[in-house]
Amino acid sequence: MSSNIYLPHLATITEIEAQTPDTTMLRVTLDDPTLALSFTYRPGQFAELSIFGVGECPISIASTPTRKGFLEFCVRAVGQVTNALYELDVGSKIGVRGPYGNPFPLPELEGRNLLFIGGGIGLAPLRSLINYVLDNRDHYGEVELIYGARSPQDLAFKDELKLWGEQEGVTVYLTVDRGDERWRGPVGFVPSFLREIAPSPQEKVAFTCGPPIMIKLVMEALEEMGFPPDHMVTTLEMKMKCGVGKCGRCNIGSRYICRDGPVFTLEQLKALPGGLEL
Amino acid sequence: MEQELREIVRKLLEEGAIEYFIGYAEGFEPLHTTPCFIERGEQVQALVWSPLCPYNLARYLHQMKDGAGKVGLVVKGCDARAIVELVKGNQIQRERVVVVGIPCQGQVDLAKLEDAFEGAEMVEGKGDTFLVTVGEKVHSVEKERLLREKCFSCRHPISFEYDFVLGEMSPLVYGSESEFAMVEELERLPVEERRAFWRAQFERCIRCYACRDICYACYCQECIFESKAPRWLEKTTTPLDNQTYHLIRAWHMVGRCIDCGECERVCPVGIPLRRLYKKVEKEVEQLFDYRAGMRVEDLPPLVTFAAEEPALSSRQDRSER
Amino acid sequence: MIKKAHLTQWLDRVAQGYDLFGPVLDGVVQFKRVNSSDQLVFDYANSVVPPKNLFLPQTECLFAFRREEGSIILEPRGGLERERVLFGIRPCDARSLLLLDEVFNGDLEDTYYQEKRRGTILIGLACPSPPQRTCFCTSLGIDPLSPEGVDILLTDLGDRYLVEVTTEKGEELVGLSQELFFPSAEGEKLKGEKGKSLEEVGEKIGSLWEDGYWRELSRRCLGCGVCTYLCPTCHCFDLTDVGSTLSGKRFRCWDSCMFADFTRMAGGVNPRPTGKERVRQRYFDKFSYFPERYGVLGCVGCGRCSQYCPMGIDIRTIINEVIARGAK
Repeated sequence: MSSNIYLPHLATITEIEAQTPDTTMLRVTLDDPTLALSFTYRPGQFAELSIFGVGECPISIASTPTRKGFLEFCVRAVGQVTNALYELDVGSKIGVRGPYGNPFPLPELEGRNLLFIGGGIGLAPLRSLINYVLDNRDHYGEVELIYGARSPQDLAFKDELKLWGEQEGVTVYLTVDRGDERWRGPVGFVPSFLREIAPSPQEKVAFTCGPPIMIKLVMEALEEMGFPPDHMVTTLEMKMKCGVGKCGRCNIGSRYICRDGPVFTLEQLKALPGGLEL
Repeated sequence: MEQELREIVRKLLEEGAIEYFIGYAEGFEPLHTTPCFIERGEQVQALVWSPLCPYNLARYLHQMKDGAGKVGLVVKGCDARAIVELVKGNQIQRERVVVVGIPCQGQVDLAKLEDAFEGAEMVEGKGDTFLVTVGEKVHSVEKERLLREKCFSCRHPISFEYDFVLGEMSPLVYGSESEFAMVEELERLPVEERRAFWRAQFERCIRCYACRDICYACYCQECIFESKAPRWLEKTTTPLDNQTYHLIRAWHMVGRCIDCGECERVCPVGIPLRRLYKKVEKEVEQLFDYRAGMRVEDLPPLVTFAAEEPALSSRQDRSER
Repeated sequence: MIKKAHLTQWLDRVAQGYDLFGPVLDGVVQFKRVNSSDQLVFDYANSVVPPKNLFLPQTECLFAFRREEGSIILEPRGGLERERVLFGIRPCDARSLLLLDEVFNGDLEDTYYQEKRRGTILIGLACPSPPQRTCFCTSLGIDPLSPEGVDILLTDLGDRYLVEVTTEKGEELVGLSQELFFPSAEGEKLKGEKGKSLEEVGEKIGSLWEDGYWRELSRRCLGCGVCTYLCPTCHCFDLTDVGSTLSGKRFRCWDSCMFADFTRMAGGVNPRPTGKERVRQRYFDKFSYFPERYGVLGCVGCGRCSQYCPMGIDIRTIINEVIARGAK
């Protein structure tokens, strides 16, 4: 007797933490206690969150599976469902379907150095992998994070950014498009910031997530810096509905983002018609 | 006539008078034509004309917003009314369009044709008849047997200046039945029966939006049915949703429908849309003595304000209920 | 074999124990539920809306929800109350169901589709000759006289039907009126002709990603939903909640990649912003992506798209253009 792939699991919001003026982090626990403990996922996957009566939308899982019993989602209020999610209180009930999608290629990352390049809320799916890596520290090499946002207020996960920078073998570079009176750090767009820092491609896999234009420029820069296309990983965003590869909406070429993605290497994208136009 | 048309278009293109020309071309099947976009002189051989050219090509003038040059097209008299309305609605500038009027003497209804002649390959108009070619034989048949319903109430603009005409542009004149007969037939029924009639029609609707997408008058940048906030209609096809769609569309056709009949032609499930919009047309004519598509100078009643005009209530006394 | 005159008798027997669906004239020919065989029509080429509607309904309630005591109750829908029999499905549409099975099966099985599929017995009707003008199933390797994909195939032989039974469920149906059936003489099995194979279109279309042909087509294309809704292999759908946050239902409805806002995201970004991208997407999906995913071209040659396209765009013209312009 197959389970119903369209029927969400009920979950409750246990914590809400505002991140930026338009994004908030929801911490969610599945209502079914057995499921809450047994629910597994891998960094890079997403879930379809339901507000019954409003709709459903796909959100990357921003927490790491190494920390059990809860799921974290970073929501940017930009559409009908995300605006409704943004307005929820602690104790609100939502629906969760998942985990869906192709995760980051963990086995291939063993022993490697990892370079994360994030823009704005694009840091959320990367955060899942960063925390996973830090929870399994001796499996991975050097970790670098280059992260930028429109302004200092728009930097997400501010407390964690500080925490990560304090860890051994982890370097955090921050930039903003536009500073404010208190900002003392670098100012500039992420792609040019990346070129300034010029990280070495040695034994390294690069992960990018952010606005489409940023991803494009970052990929160009990384390629010029000598990163091979199969060592450059991104996570894509397309309009999604079913999340399970049946409603036909989220494809690039023959690949459904919800099944074969959202994680792709640049090499895979190059092989897809229109893959680079995103 | 085809040759003449091709020559005119060739000249227009070669002289650079237009960027492209919209006309009719052969389709895959002998009985199907399809619209074509001609950009170079040597492509004009593709242009055809026959009683199998139902498309209102003025619909493609919506695309003019994306360019700056001039566009040419061929229109039947009925289609020209769409150009009148597009100019009236500030959707196109008359100077940017080169209009070639083609004297249509009636279009063939494919269903009627296939019922009457299996394996028909070609149809030509000749006087009061259609000449239907089936294999080696050519059959002559009374026009009325194969004519599209809408052609029985053929109407051209009262005043319209074509840039070129390929003959005399005069409407077909048929029968003594009022063009609103099919509306009056329903009006004579009690409300419950009318409601049941339309409910049965709308239940069949698959909300493909072909009727909206083919309509010359549907040029809104964001269609009401695409609005997300407020969300007027989902994609659900319950009887209520379908009814809402059709009634809203009928409402939006008030004072704008030219009865080109394209909506009914393209409906895959055979909803008698002309009957619905004809009712709307009748109401407008009786309330405001106005008909769309006749003269560019005619002011559309629903968007015109006059300091002194008869109250709606006094107009309503004039109209039949 | 069964005499033509007895067909309706048998179907009426079937209608007693099953929900019988068949071709009905409702403005146009559609597959609908009937209570008795006199509602059926037999003189038709094919339905307007393909029988995918019975398995992937245009509007389907997935579940209802309501708020109750601080929580939310979900009530799934779907399933069949009675087993169904679909009479009159053509070989092209029967093949289309096999293609849709590829989409809805897999490790994440769509139970709504599967329950209907498993609970429906198919009585196919072989196609008469000559075919409709717009038919080209034989070019997709489909035999209009083959019982592929159905439980029973009836072939019209004038005053009687040849009855080919391929499954146990088919046998059970025949068994309901066993006395009406009699054995056929040898040599009565006919075979359809194979048409020109279209494997080439799948091999060549990939080379036309940047070709100007899609923009040309998009000038004529209105972007309505006729071709997709009437296509037996199209399966795109939308999920939408109706009601309020207190109570309501989640529906699944047909959607079309031809609609302008199909891929538009909240915030306005649309990876397929103009007709060109959407037209290209449709044909690439049928002839390149579908075969890449499932190993077979995603078209069954039923011709509905060509027949009902408001602007007379014919898929056969497009196929020939792709073969002419493309490279392997």
